[in-house]
Amino acid sequence: MTRRIVAVLAILGYVSLHLPLLLLMLGSVNVSRSGARWDGFTLEWYRRLLHRHDLLVALRTSLIVGVVATIVATGLGTLAALALGRNRWRITRAVEALLLVPIVTPEVIAGISLLILFSAVGMHLGLLTVIIAHATFCLPFTILVVMARLRGMDRSLEDAALALGADEFTTFRRVTVPLLMPGIIAAALLAFTLSFDDFIITFFTAGPGTSTLPLVIYGMVRRTVEPTVNALSALLVIGTTVLLLVAQHWMTPERVGTNA
Amino acid sequence: MTRFRTMLRDALHRSPRFEAVVLLLPAGVWLAIFFAIPLGIVATYAFRPRHILGGVYPGWTTVHVVRLVEPLYLVVLQRSVLLSLVATLLALIVSYPIALVIVRATRWRALLLFLVVLPFWTSFLVRTYATIFLIRDTGLINHLLQAVGVIRQPLRMLYTPGAVLFGLVTGFVPFMVLPIYASLEKLDPALLEAAEALGAPEWRRFVRVTWPLTLPGVVAGSMLVFVPALGSFLTSDLLGGAKVELIGNLVQNQFTSARNWPFGSALSLLLLVVVMIGMLARLRLDRTRTRPRRGT
Amino acid sequence: MREGCRALGSRREFLRACLQGGLSLGTASALWSCVTRREPPPVDERPRSAAGPLEHDLRIFNWSDYIAADTISRFEREFGVRVTYDTYESNEEMVAKLVAGGDGYDIVAPTGYLVPVLVEGGLLQPLDHAVLTNWANLVPLFVDDEADRGGRYAMPYQWGTTGLAYRRDLVAASPRGWAVFADPSLRGAVTMLDDGREVLGAMLKWRGHSVNAVDPRQLERAKEDALLVKPNLRAYLSATVKGQLISGDVAVAQLWSGDTRQAQLEEERIEYTVPAEGSVLFTDYLAVPRSAPNRRAAHAFLNYVLRPAVAAEIAEQTGYGPANGAAIALMPHPVEPPDEELLRRVEFQRDLGPATDLWDRLWTEVKAG
Repeated sequence: MTRRIVAVLAILGYVSLHLPLLLLMLGSVNVSRSGARWDGFTLEWYRRLLHRHDLLVALRTSLIVGVVATIVATGLGTLAALALGRNRWRITRAVEALLLVPIVTPEVIAGISLLILFSAVGMHLGLLTVIIAHATFCLPFTILVVMARLRGMDRSLEDAALALGADEFTTFRRVTVPLLMPGIIAAALLAFTLSFDDFIITFFTAGPGTSTLPLVIYGMVRRTVEPTVNALSALLVIGTTVLLLVAQHWMTPERVGTNA
Repeated sequence: MTRFRTMLRDALHRSPRFEAVVLLLPAGVWLAIFFAIPLGIVATYAFRPRHILGGVYPGWTTVHVVRLVEPLYLVVLQRSVLLSLVATLLALIVSYPIALVIVRATRWRALLLFLVVLPFWTSFLVRTYATIFLIRDTGLINHLLQAVGVIRQPLRMLYTPGAVLFGLVTGFVPFMVLPIYASLEKLDPALLEAAEALGAPEWRRFVRVTWPLTLPGVVAGSMLVFVPALGSFLTSDLLGGAKVELIGNLVQNQFTSARNWPFGSALSLLLLVVVMIGMLARLRLDRTRTRPRRGT
Repeated sequence: MREGCRALGSRREFLRACLQGGLSLGTASALWSCVTRREPPPVDERPRSAAGPLEHDLRIFNWSDYIAADTISRFEREFGVRVTYDTYESNEEMVAKLVAGGDGYDIVAPTGYLVPVLVEGGLLQPLDHAVLTNWANLVPLFVDDEADRGGRYAMPYQWGTTGLAYRRDLVAASPRGWAVFADPSLRGAVTMLDDGREVLGAMLKWRGHSVNAVDPRQLERAKEDALLVKPNLRAYLSATVKGQLISGDVAVAQLWSGDTRQAQLEEERIEYTVPAEGSVLFTDYLAVPRSAPNRRAAHAFLNYVLRPAVAAEIAEQTGYGPANGAAIALMPHPVEPPDEELLRRVEFQRDLGPATDLWDRLWTEVKAG
């Protein structure tokens, strides 16, 4: 009985998570512009996407920003996680708590404050400022994710390597890093997604010609009436799915769950 | 110089504390320059006279902070906190069964987990936008209900507080499922078997064993839902039709339409304080939990 | 603001100082003054000449969906200038960037009420009319508007009104005035704009006051009216409402004329009217920020937009009226400039000055109520 209730609730949860996305995809191949009823199948909305040169430019900007910010955030984050994850001093707990401050700061504040900083030191708004901004809001997340992996790791393997005569550096390189890898990859994926999705902070730190995809999508969601925005969103969902499936080559699904 | 290098290596070797500081430094400096200092500047904005174009004038004032305690803004804050709490509770009710089903599944486990992770990686903006197709007057739910004959007039779901709640819950459910799943996975099956052997019925095993042991995951997940829900503004704009004003909208409006940066800063300080209180409560919980407890 | 920063010495040095963690008290206070001090340059100044060879780049910051599909590419081909084009969703988003010194844009598109404020803030540069040879095409009404008398700092681009967009098949009788939002028979089928200026402005007009009222009693009444109609409203929606009008979820919406025309192309049963009690008329301008790096190319673009054929295509595709009188005849669906009868009813929005805070507070009360 209990099991049945649990199953029903879980199914409801899955449906409410996925039904909207399925409807979005249906809408993207529906002839009807308002999507109020099914008028037939079409790829017209996808065809129109091809004519949106600005979307391609924005996609390229998003990819560049996402990749560079991910590398910076994951690199710095892994180092910091190594410091925090191995020790359980009172001070590391305090640092952990502090890390939550950037995570909970309203995005508009983070955006405005960076805009003020950049203008005060005379940095021109552009790719660099967007990348810095993205790396900044991704960094706390990458630290937390890698740290979680480090804590969940079996430390006895490291001890074994040391006992068998490997020096500390070799142990780190041959044992710690491979064990940590799923965490690092999960952190990088998370950083990339956060960067790829961000709208508000990007808005305030972007300069001429550095509009990212979410900036363009936001405008489309608010203004346009035709389903091209559905087509674009559907492509993004499909792209995410493919990316995730590829990522699973590196990580077993259980690890994605425990680390993300 | 060489001596210095040797000293450094020795220090790194001997003192894990020193090593930790060196490893923390790059990220720490980065966050100090690009997060703490700018945030500090904005925090002082809350005490500056307002510039008509946005931005501030030099000088100091407390008018913006005093304005915070007006009932008008406290009402909005109260409503936001309440809505976020309800959203967190509902997300828990939806998420726990999902996590349980995933853990118990054998063949379908990878797929079930993948289906939770997928929305987690999908753009929040896109997912919120997609929800409109489900709940609008001419959306799927109304079509189905009308086809079955349950209702004649479409149900008004879009642009209601309920729609905002639905958007928040479905938006953040993955954040809740993953930590709960992680702590369920770590649960030692031997404990449950022991309880079963001792004749405890299923609900009792859940209440006495599973629930207390997965509480850390529940707390972590709740924070991950509550905090972003409290700062959200997109959901109430797109699904609430801007009729449900939340603290996140209030902050947003000060910067984007009222051009009142100092008051916007004051409001976000207030928001940060509320979140910090929640955070401290969580740390408290953590601390009591790490102490050994009788009975577990 | 920029002048103040020189006190720091080179900015690179400052950044290095920060990176080394040596943020001394002196640097900190210098940073402070950079952030807060602004001394606008004198307002009455002569334009620098914009004649001569064009720069190779042009950076435009415009409202989203506010230009024709190939305006930019044609300009690029004809003038050999590479255009970078970015968009925004509200005036204030654009202003935030200009105020914080987010430099690099050569053209921005502020709405009329904002132009004098930007000019006073020293954020715009005067236009060089010597190179704007097509200026005479503009309708005098928009050039003489008090927002920027004579177009010294800004060029009128397009105009529109705020009014009622409605589905004639979904209403018993055509709405005439703002009272439609209080009509209980339309409960749940009407929306107003998600914009305090527009909602409170409509309520003020309803009671015969100005959309720029600063009298607290009139504003208080407007707030009460807004709260009165709120239970009737389905939502506060801006451009998003187009889709809802087309799908029939919404029967009457407070909406801008141009967006209504875009919706009409999809659904011919949508009608538009400016309420009898009066409403808002707005002009959007194109202006060149003071910090614009490519001012000659910017002027070339302004003059290009002043061409009747170009202005006609932009107006046709966006649905708004061209400020360019010569363009009207070239439009397949012409939008005539406001006539005497319309002008009697409508008002330009003005900046509210110190009353902005009161307006914002009342609007928050409406939304929180």
